[in-house]
Amino acid sequence: MAAVDPRSAILAMICLVWTAGHTVADDDRTLTVLSWGGSYERAQQQALFEPFSEATGIEVEVDRYDGGIDRLRQAAERNDIAWDVIDMTQSDALAACNEGLLQPLDESIAAPSPDGTPMAQDFIDGALTRCSLSHTVYATVIAYRRDAFPGTRPTRIADLFDQQRFPGPRALQRSPAANLEWALLSYGVPREELYRLLSTDRGLNLALQRLESLQDVHWWEGGDEPVDMLVNGEAVMASGYNGRFFDAMVSREAPIDILWDGQVQEHETWVIPRDSDNPELAREFIRFATDTERLAAFARHIPYGPARHSAATQVTTHHDSGRDMRLHIPTHPLNARRAITKDHDWYARTLDRVNERFRQRLLEPTSSSSQSP
Amino acid sequence: MNPLDSDTPGADPVAIIRFLALVLLGALIGGVAALCAVGFVAAVLALNDVLLMSPRSRMMFGHDEWLMIATVTVPAIGGLIVGLLHRGIPERRPHTPADVIAAVQTREGRLPARAGLISAISALLSLGSGASVGQYGPLVHMGATLGSLSARLLRLGRSDDNITIACGAAAAIATAFNAPLAGIVFAHEVMLRHYALRAFAPVAAAAIVGHVIATNVLERGALFHITDTAVPRPWEFAVFVAIGAGGALVAGAYMRSVLSTARLASHLPLPAVCRPALAGAILGLVALWVPDILGMGQETLRFATIAGAFDPLELVVVLVLKILATALCLGMGFAGGVFSPALVIGTLFGALCGSLVGTMTGAPPDTFIFYAVCGMVAVTAPVIGAPLTSLLIVFELTGSYVLTTAALASVTLASPIAAQLFGRSLFDVQLAARGLDLSAGRSYAVLHVTPIREYLTRDCVTLSPDQTVDEAISILGESGHGEGYLVSDSGHYLGTVSLIALEACRHDGSTDRSLETCTAGNRPTLTPETSLGDAMEQMRDVSGEAIAVVDDRTHHTFLGVVYETDIARAYLQRSDELRREEYGSS
Repeated sequence: MAAVDPRSAILAMICLVWTAGHTVADDDRTLTVLSWGGSYERAQQQALFEPFSEATGIEVEVDRYDGGIDRLRQAAERNDIAWDVIDMTQSDALAACNEGLLQPLDESIAAPSPDGTPMAQDFIDGALTRCSLSHTVYATVIAYRRDAFPGTRPTRIADLFDQQRFPGPRALQRSPAANLEWALLSYGVPREELYRLLSTDRGLNLALQRLESLQDVHWWEGGDEPVDMLVNGEAVMASGYNGRFFDAMVSREAPIDILWDGQVQEHETWVIPRDSDNPELAREFIRFATDTERLAAFARHIPYGPARHSAATQVTTHHDSGRDMRLHIPTHPLNARRAITKDHDWYARTLDRVNERFRQRLLEPTSSSSQSP
Repeated sequence: MNPLDSDTPGADPVAIIRFLALVLLGALIGGVAALCAVGFVAAVLALNDVLLMSPRSRMMFGHDEWLMIATVTVPAIGGLIVGLLHRGIPERRPHTPADVIAAVQTREGRLPARAGLISAISALLSLGSGASVGQYGPLVHMGATLGSLSARLLRLGRSDDNITIACGAAAAIATAFNAPLAGIVFAHEVMLRHYALRAFAPVAAAAIVGHVIATNVLERGALFHITDTAVPRPWEFAVFVAIGAGGALVAGAYMRSVLSTARLASHLPLPAVCRPALAGAILGLVALWVPDILGMGQETLRFATIAGAFDPLELVVVLVLKILATALCLGMGFAGGVFSPALVIGTLFGALCGSLVGTMTGAPPDTFIFYAVCGMVAVTAPVIGAPLTSLLIVFELTGSYVLTTAALASVTLASPIAAQLFGRSLFDVQLAARGLDLSAGRSYAVLHVTPIREYLTRDCVTLSPDQTVDEAISILGESGHGEGYLVSDSGHYLGTVSLIALEACRHDGSTDRSLETCTAGNRPTLTPETSLGDAMEQMRDVSGEAIAVVDDRTHHTFLGVVYETDIARAYLQRSDELRREEYGSS
């Protein structure tokens, strides 16, 4: 059984690639992907898009965005959707799915693992939702300048708010997500109760209070901003995506380290817009880009935890620097000990109201301390 | 003479197999009770989500007007259904752990399945619709009922019935708190009130199975979370002891409110069916202003452990309102426990003490959570009458030894003060109000619930007032009895005549005087409902053969007699059964 399966799987894969190459290459079409920029996009180019083009002859065009579903909503209203596949956070995907902006997906969207494990068992829990398939797990984490706190270093998320022991400006995302969780976590609340408590007025107030108490905060929007702020010393502690911090550590040799305590894990997913011109091509791409080999390859470029177990065990060293990537992906047991799984459902339903509270309390009254982009 | 003397351990293979089978049965009951508990907890959470009673569902729902309407109507409608359900129970009220304690302490056992099922469903609805009641009481009652049911199915005796009840209760606590030690101690401390080895092993088996199921099925955060390794300063232990004293008073106020609301509710010009609905509507209206009082209050409990989450005035308001809300819900007939609200009330009280200490010392203490936990234990231990269980719950939930010793400091004063001022527990006071006094221990309770009816006999000499002294003497002589009972033609009991008194009458020479004048003075009478204990009390002053039994003390219709030897034999037999159950090792 085990001896036959890999061979037949490889055979199937060859057939797939071969047929894909023949059926689609003839049409001379391009696949348009909406994705995030920066090192993330570079990694996708190297691990996914270029191999896909090589295998199928289809050009991949990339359009860049900063998340959210506004652009998709507007495009759908104009009935002019230019993207075949979108790389979305799972919470955006849920919200978009609830608004009927996406096509439903099922298990046939992904290939089984090389040893024949069906996708349902190989992918991590919650990877396949009604309209999205998770491919990687990334984390929003706190990173700090190693040289900012002589003789000590932050070890707990509460240290983010302790400006007496860890003085210096902070850079946080201009959004409630992750900030609220960390603020409440700093009171010693267990992570399992975060969203229940944030649902009460009292809990939300406590979290906002803790954020208000911070002096000298820069609010960032684009994912590269906090990295730059840390590197050029504008901030000593900053929130951001673990992949970008890693990139700065490796390629820019920035003196920064990641505080894994309280990392907020989120799934990055592939979705297909509802009125996509070319859903078959999109499915083909998703199948290709979420197979075990591609996911493991992607994690060699950027430290995002693969969403399937067979790929996670194959993650090796960094493509460029040769560093052991298993220690830098959020799903590694050492890093994931106190990880928070973002409650997408909660955010999908409450984001507008929570955003409003966040904006009123933190961004409007103290415009002096917040930096407008 | 003593039946225990012959029990050499390990001598009887049948006894050993029976005992092992009982342990296995305990594990089985533990498994079933734990699964039911898991299902119950999950169903409550699901109902809370669907009915917009949980903060998360309320936040995600978002429409304020509809939320306001739901806050008032859901508890009210829930109350109405609960009220209707309770019509299916003979006592017209939900059964609680108090009923379990009564069944175990009097060795009655045999918890009714129908009332148990209805009580569980109505507790589920009460909790699901946001009533301010607890979930652990219903879980304990459900586990105990399952235990008793299995004992009945297997036709086990009363002693084993008691043990299976304790198994169910232990498994429920072990599962709900994920605290097996607390479950075992709870079963012994609150239910059995003795520590027999024979009961220990099955109860421990049940608790362990419950624990295993809980760790594998329930994924819940710790009830308390200790991040800092702050250690209280020595003087703070004095404060913890004082919190214990204050907590006893809060516990007393809480218990008195629950009982007096129940008394007041019975005088309301409102059918019993509608009372919970009214309570639900009032609760909902107040919750529009202070949402913290709604439901079990797990979020409130958590916030109370955070310094600064409430200001002191808010703590007082929420504390008082939570007591009143719980008294209202339970007193007016919602089904549910008293423990979870007591946890919240106690923690709020502890937080209040912590805040006061903070204002005196200038900053909230880093040991704030110690104050909250001390308050919690100081209130809950007296309410359920279980200081050891409360301590173990703290220990098993936090894994913090320092915190447990602080809680110990507060419970040392809390339990005795509350016991002096109020009673051993809310359950015991409720049972006392129903006529079952457990304050003097189990043997007393057993003797005082066994009526003498089963020892009643008509095998005695009845005499008519028309008969002469000589006739009476000869009738008694022939029957071999020393006493006769004078009964009128209409069947009324007129008195007891003894052979000695008759002889004395004959020697006076007045053989033709009425027998009535020869009756022994101040001989007591009993009724069939008189308990064995009371009959023993009567025997203290009477030396005779038997005591007459009449239907009631006004009409005095003669029913028969109870022989004093029978009373003494029954007394010895009961004591013997208890001793076997409590000290027999196999």
